[in-house]
Amino acid sequence: MIKHVLLFRRVFAVSLQRQLAHRANLAFDAMMTAVGLASGLLALIAVFSRVETLAGWTLGGMIVLLGTYQFISGMIAAFVTPNLAFFQPKVTNGEIDEVLLKPVSSLFLVSLGTCYPWALVQSLLGLATVAAGVSFVDVALTATGLLAYVLLLLVGLLVGWASRVLLACAAFWAPGAEPSIIYDAFWELGRYPLSIYHSIVQRLLTFVVPVAFISTLPAQALVSGMGPTLFVGSLAASVIYVLLARVAWQRALRRYTSATS
Amino acid sequence: MRLLSILQVYIRVSFLQWMAWRSFAFTLVANQAVTPLIGLAVWSTALPSESRLPLYYFVLLVVRLMTVSYENHTFSGRIYSGELADHLLRPHPVVLQPLGDNVSIRIWHMLIGAPLLLVVLLFLPAAEMKLWPVLAALPALVLAAGIQFLFTFSLAMTAFWTERAHAVVHLGSTLIFLLGGVAVPISLMPGVLLPFVELLPFRYMMAFPAEIVADAMTLEQLGFGYVIQLVWLLIFGWVSRRLWRSGVRRYTVVGG
Repeated sequence: MIKHVLLFRRVFAVSLQRQLAHRANLAFDAMMTAVGLASGLLALIAVFSRVETLAGWTLGGMIVLLGTYQFISGMIAAFVTPNLAFFQPKVTNGEIDEVLLKPVSSLFLVSLGTCYPWALVQSLLGLATVAAGVSFVDVALTATGLLAYVLLLLVGLLVGWASRVLLACAAFWAPGAEPSIIYDAFWELGRYPLSIYHSIVQRLLTFVVPVAFISTLPAQALVSGMGPTLFVGSLAASVIYVLLARVAWQRALRRYTSATS
Repeated sequence: MRLLSILQVYIRVSFLQWMAWRSFAFTLVANQAVTPLIGLAVWSTALPSESRLPLYYFVLLVVRLMTVSYENHTFSGRIYSGELADHLLRPHPVVLQPLGDNVSIRIWHMLIGAPLLLVVLLFLPAAEMKLWPVLAALPALVLAAGIQFLFTFSLAMTAFWTERAHAVVHLGSTLIFLLGGVAVPISLMPGVLLPFVELLPFRYMMAFPAEIVADAMTLEQLGFGYVIQLVWLLIFGWVSRRLWRSGVRRYTVVGG
């Protein structure tokens, strides 16, 4: 475990060094992220110039939700997507071999082996947005609420990581499909609370593409509080997802028949 | 006439090439459809009494699928890789090839999007489409498709000057999202913005045909909209011509 933490730090340092060669990209990426965030906020303001609440959410609550979405999206874009997006060619070209030969967990290497630190700008802007949303409305911040929020952020990250792993594992069974773009399309739905969608879509976004965990649930815990059942349920869901991802990865490896020599 | 038949050949070639990328095209459609559908969900939750919103967003979805432009992926990529050199040698205007690509991708979007549109249509409460507004919207749709192609094509040509043509095009699509009636239907925008939005090009690339179908528009509003659409079509046509001329002059390419 400690070995993996140290390795993770090294991975981050190396990726950062590599990225520092392209500093102009940082400015550009930061600008694009800011534009994206601003457009999301403007869209929200336009909605709330017409109504007081949207499906039970106030403007402040929605800003917290959007910030949470940006934070988790940034973290996933920094650490997970650089490894697992467009994963299918790695399987068919036999690039997994390299991962299997190394003396650390193959799941760790394959899902967290490289990163794109500039995406963390999105996470920082997201946290700032959350803070702005909290100060904007008088959300009564309690210690338990804050703790629940942090824990649920962790749940969101774990579920986000695990669902990406599951998606990547699908490449071992169906090498023709490239599901990550359609997954990203679903991920976009996390910008708004689940309660605005049709009930079938809500269920889909909780159990199949677990978008509920990346924005709605943490924001709800911070803004309006959350019952113990839902909270414990979320924690349990993250454990289930992580276990599923591990099992799926092991199964996928059993199907893997290298392609290189 | 000769140009038209060349264009037709390009459309056919690109259409057949996309046949091999069917599953990829499917994911593109899903990505395109998601923002209007979110808009539909948000606004019908916010203002359930506005009965014309579902219809508006349904038509907007159609407009979106029929006006998609990916010149930042296709054309800018060719500028960067140097493949453009090959196209410069062909004895016809270079724009025909990206235009053919564009049209064939749009046809694919419509083919794949059709089942989705049918599903959305089933869920629409009281979708009362009348014949004549739909007919009045068809030319607007064609013009919107034209403006959006020229707009994206112009932005994609910034690849001659910068390595970040992708981001430039992305910025353009963010503006269409915000001011083109996707995030917020134009009629629901804050009043101070309206005079600007009605003159800026973004409404005419996206919302205008949907407004014709969903809102009861007067003849004057319709005429005004069409005039502005034509003006923007000409402006972007001129801009893309200028950009092409000065861009290709400074273009130096290795290989070919």
